[in-house]
Amino acid sequence: MKKTKAEFSREHLLYLKKQKRVSLVVQITRILLLVLLLGVWELLADLQIVNPFITSSPSRIVLTIGSLYVEGTLFYHVGVTLGETLAGFAIAVVAGYLIALLLWWSETLRRILEPYIVVLNSLPKIALGPLIIIWCGTGSKAIVAITVLIGIIIAILNMLSGFIATDKNKILLLQSMGAGKIQILQKLVIPSSLPTFISMLKINVGMAWIGSIMGEYIVSKAGLGYLIVYGGQVFKLDLVMAATVILCTLAGIMYFLVVLLEKLVVKNGRN
Amino acid sequence: MKNQILSFKDVTMIYHTAQGETAAVKDLNFYVQRGEFVAIIGPSGCGKTTILSLAAGLLNPSGGKISVADNVTFGYMLQKDELFPWRTIEKNILLPLEIKNTHTAENRKKALDLAIKYGLGDFLKSYPDQLSGGMRQRAALIRTLASDPTMLLLDEPFSALDYQTRLNVCDDVYNIIRSEKKTALLITHDISEAISVADRVLVLSKRPAHVVGEHVLHFDANTKPLQRREEKEFSGWFEMLWRQLNV
Repeated sequence: MKKTKAEFSREHLLYLKKQKRVSLVVQITRILLLVLLLGVWELLADLQIVNPFITSSPSRIVLTIGSLYVEGTLFYHVGVTLGETLAGFAIAVVAGYLIALLLWWSETLRRILEPYIVVLNSLPKIALGPLIIIWCGTGSKAIVAITVLIGIIIAILNMLSGFIATDKNKILLLQSMGAGKIQILQKLVIPSSLPTFISMLKINVGMAWIGSIMGEYIVSKAGLGYLIVYGGQVFKLDLVMAATVILCTLAGIMYFLVVLLEKLVVKNGRN
Repeated sequence: MKNQILSFKDVTMIYHTAQGETAAVKDLNFYVQRGEFVAIIGPSGCGKTTILSLAAGLLNPSGGKISVADNVTFGYMLQKDELFPWRTIEKNILLPLEIKNTHTAENRKKALDLAIKYGLGDFLKSYPDQLSGGMRQRAALIRTLASDPTMLLLDEPFSALDYQTRLNVCDDVYNIIRSEKKTALLITHDISEAISVADRVLVLSKRPAHVVGEHVLHFDANTKPLQRREEKEFSGWFEMLWRQLNV
């Protein structure tokens, strides 16, 4: 029922024009703000008002990233961290989803496990770091394990509350049609919890990066977290800043991909 | 007796919670004949919904006997339309066929023909949020009819609508149910609604519910619900049922 442009009134066209102008202003200001911040930072460092040895500067960050690239280690470190993050993210999401389904299915199981989940949720997962290193070794496996640990509880709790929030009347309706539990799950619980799933993904993107970077802080030989820790120890703040900038970019891209997925699956906001 | 497609005999239903037990229904007796439109009215919270759940076999009674004639199937219609927002109207209407695994081309066609016959043809590819409240409730009715049930169980199907829509949808649903020659059991707390659609009205007591009054209404078969409201007997029935309900 969308109208074409010709059918709109003059007032509406003006309204649209104004809306467009406002969003343009927002976007331009966003970019200007970034340019301003970077410019001030660069200027303060160049004029030695702040010590660039401690604060680094945009130009030094670019140079550092450039030299990492020339050394050929840039993509190696990015690849290691990205691999760990994605693996941990995927395992946490899939396993968390399945466990939540199981807990939805059996109320008894849910009640039995409730205190354990609550305790695990409040436990700072990083406390298990030493244990995980001993169990999984000092390689990427340990880092993935920490990432999974941080993400999985949140995945379980989010999905479970989404599943449980399924409209009781809609369940009644399906039961009156003779639906069994599997059909209720398939036709109603899973599709109606899709928005919960997406918001869980968004939260877990952040969690996965926390997990992998924290993991690399504890134990690693490569990766962006490793670069940050190493840079801090040898006082190469340029390296710390460069790794942080790359991290920001990657986390942003990953979040953006989830938003894209949301637009794709949640059609027309009807879910 | 052979025309009874549903009968309750001394049915009792008790709900158990950790706090105690509540008798929702006690010694309930009634029957519904084939082709009849029966309305049950009762004070709110008297266990009306329980009766429909018992009839549909979603609950087992604590005592007594519920008999359903052979080959009788039920279609349930709830207060809200409960259309799934992520499905088109077409997919919503075909839902019972999917659930019952009777998704044959013939059944599909029957269901969709029904939708077209009752004015949903243009909306089949639309989503529920693009339809008005009245149209949505009509879609919900067509969904209920899609699996070709013998008997419809209507759980206050109009109470979520505004008054104007409510009168229209009531007329609408009544006409469709009559022309499809379905048996219907309507529960409601709205006395005038019950009088305007039913052949027979049963009045329930407060909880635990049992039948305290039964009235056969003698309206001409062709008078529509809205017209019934203008008949001179209407107010008489209303007063009588009102009094019985407030004993």
